[in-house]
Amino acid sequence: MTGRLLLVCRLMVRDLRRRRTETVLLLLAISAAAGTLTLGLALDNALARPYERTRAATAGPDVVATPVTTGPDALAALAPLPTAPGVTAHSGPYPMAYLMMTAHGRTVQTVVQGRDASPAALDRPVVTDGTWVRPGGVVIEPTFANALGVHTGDTVEVNGHPLRVVGTAVTAARAVYPRADWRFPGSILVQSSGLVWVDSSQIGTLADGQRLSYTLNLRFVDPHASTSFHNMLRDGIEYHSWTAIADSNGRLVRQAHRALLIGSWLLTALAVASVANIVAGRVVDQRRRVGLLKAVGAGPAMIAGVHLAEYLVLGLVAAVIGLTAGWLTAPALTNPGAGLLGATGVHPPALRTVITVTALALAIAAAATLAPVLRAAATDTVHALVDAATSPRRRRWRVWLSRRMPAALLIGVRINARRPRRARLVMVNTLVTMTALAALLMGLAQDRQVDLGETELANPKETRTLQAMLLVVVVLCVLALVNAIVSTWTAVLDARHPLAVARTLGATPVQASAGMAVAQLLPATLGVALGVPLGIGLYLTVSMGEIRYPPASWMLAVALAVLLAVAVLTALPALAATRRPVADVLRSARA
Amino acid sequence: MGPSGCGKSTLLHLLGGLQRPTHGEVWLAEHRIDTMSERALARLRRHHVGFVFQSFHLMDELTAVENVELAALLAGQSPRRARQRAMTLLDRVGLADRAKHLPSALSGGQRQRVAIARALSNEPLVVLADEPTGNLDSAATLEVLRLFEELRTGGQTLVVVTHDARIAAVADRIISMRDGAFVDDSRLAGTTVGTGTVYGGWR
Repeated sequence: MTGRLLLVCRLMVRDLRRRRTETVLLLLAISAAAGTLTLGLALDNALARPYERTRAATAGPDVVATPVTTGPDALAALAPLPTAPGVTAHSGPYPMAYLMMTAHGRTVQTVVQGRDASPAALDRPVVTDGTWVRPGGVVIEPTFANALGVHTGDTVEVNGHPLRVVGTAVTAARAVYPRADWRFPGSILVQSSGLVWVDSSQIGTLADGQRLSYTLNLRFVDPHASTSFHNMLRDGIEYHSWTAIADSNGRLVRQAHRALLIGSWLLTALAVASVANIVAGRVVDQRRRVGLLKAVGAGPAMIAGVHLAEYLVLGLVAAVIGLTAGWLTAPALTNPGAGLLGATGVHPPALRTVITVTALALAIAAAATLAPVLRAAATDTVHALVDAATSPRRRRWRVWLSRRMPAALLIGVRINARRPRRARLVMVNTLVTMTALAALLMGLAQDRQVDLGETELANPKETRTLQAMLLVVVVLCVLALVNAIVSTWTAVLDARHPLAVARTLGATPVQASAGMAVAQLLPATLGVALGVPLGIGLYLTVSMGEIRYPPASWMLAVALAVLLAVAVLTALPALAATRRPVADVLRSARA
Repeated sequence: MGPSGCGKSTLLHLLGGLQRPTHGEVWLAEHRIDTMSERALARLRRHHVGFVFQSFHLMDELTAVENVELAALLAGQSPRRARQRAMTLLDRVGLADRAKHLPSALSGGQRQRVAIARALSNEPLVVLADEPTGNLDSAATLEVLRLFEELRTGGQTLVVVTHDARIAAVADRIISMRDGAFVDDSRLAGTTVGTGTVYGGWR
């Protein structure tokens, strides 16, 4: 047993060391998929955890009550609530005004809340930068400050009154920008805006005589009292439960989260194709190795063990790399301007994430390698010791058609018929790439601005979604490029002999290179043609609200660019290969 | 012996259980092997058959000694015992000083001697050699033939498929094949009397 174990380990280590480039490529492919999935699952936590953390840190209320009326009527409406049955704590009522704020020349709708320095029983906003409110100063919710480009120390104007920005703070009692719910006084219709706090003594002056609204924070003895509803209007008072506020905040990252999750599945598909591509490149060698092991007495289980061990180790290492990379990248997508406390990245990934990502990495490694290994293990040893390409079936119509094809097309078709699985891999590669690129174009075509009265500001939801999509597309394109290079090189190496034979029959080097390019372009074109509608469909499935479509010229340009890249990537190595004398190629192929 | 395509290698592959017959039966050491499972065939090869191929089929990533001990480790021997046996065999084929070399650092003749040492690793009943000198120059061919002669003298059964008349010169029995069938079966000895040496080229 020790001897066999030693043998498995020795063969694994030596093979990995011998094929360093392939090992690195395999690690890259599987790590990319594992990393993106980690990121997607980390954002899953980002939907709930930061709000819960913020709610605990700021003594967030269970329910926020805001009367539709304003002024003394609003105060009168709120008066009985603190002593209502089931209410265990309250803070407020706090005055609020729906005003316009000007910062760096942009005027936006702003919800202004009046507060004082004394600590409240509920809703104690945590200062993330600078200090808390004082007369002449304003504190801004961080996501809103980011969108405006305002920092502590800057000066802004609220309703024409200049105020100094003294800090930024987070709260769990109101949703972050742009969902702070600005409204015209007396109206129940809400518009996008951000939240700021000023000293309560100043809010009347800032409002310039406009009747103030009021808000009251409540905590109930029965937790069900606040989770049984989201929003409710009763007796002229609007009630917002903490679950509604959490949901509003979650929407900021929900679309980005979906984009990442779907991106991780696309990357997984591409990683499987990538691993299968690399494995296909070495399958001839692998089959000889299997034949050799069989000849010296290794059984099917031993052979499968030797090969699977190699890929499973690769899968485990890739899982660790992917988990680390995804975990380190997550804060970049969740933190800036999240308006909530805490970051996903400071906590180690959850056990569920570790298990899921490891299982995915191992599944990719196993899925791509199992079939060739099992096939080789079950093949006759003699056949395993030699390489056998698929013999194209002879059909009369095929012969008739082939006589009418241009030489390059004929060579391309024949190469694909000889290695049909490789052609399918090229198709999958371009299909996944084009799907992601088409979805990205859809994302770029959307309106990423949010209307805040007189000015439009960046919508953090759209910005974050685009960030997530860009991240996925960049990783995906790198992987697709690696795939294309590996695929074309292995195809060129594999087709050396038939191309040399074609040259002995009179095909020119250019025709042979063009033939190789055609062999890759045929399945790639199919992949691109299917990828465009699939990418658009995927975006439509994920996104919400009004959809804008990119111009057809964008799609056409990207599709052509993908095909051009495939053609160039193939033609260059093929042209290099045709510089070698035919006799040399034939001789080396025979050996 | 026989011309190309007459079925010599196929016969050897059938004998070693590397290939299954489409018709008929194959018996080896009183065991019918054509109906055996892949696992049983693997066991058979591991314990009773050694292979030597024309193109060596050594593991490129393993050193000479590691290639030789491969079969012993597969048979479940302890690493220490397998290494001792491999070193003894390498010494026997004159390559003890090349034990740590990779196949790429060995000449054709040396690689084939490593392959022969590997084939002998588990003390097989029979060594099946398929054109063992086909890829070797004259000097290397002589090295291998000398080794085969030593093995034969030591009582090792060897079944060698060859075109090379010099190998036939050291054989006890020569079976000639044509078109997939035996056309001649010459039992030259039973003893070593009458057999020549490789050095003269012909008996």
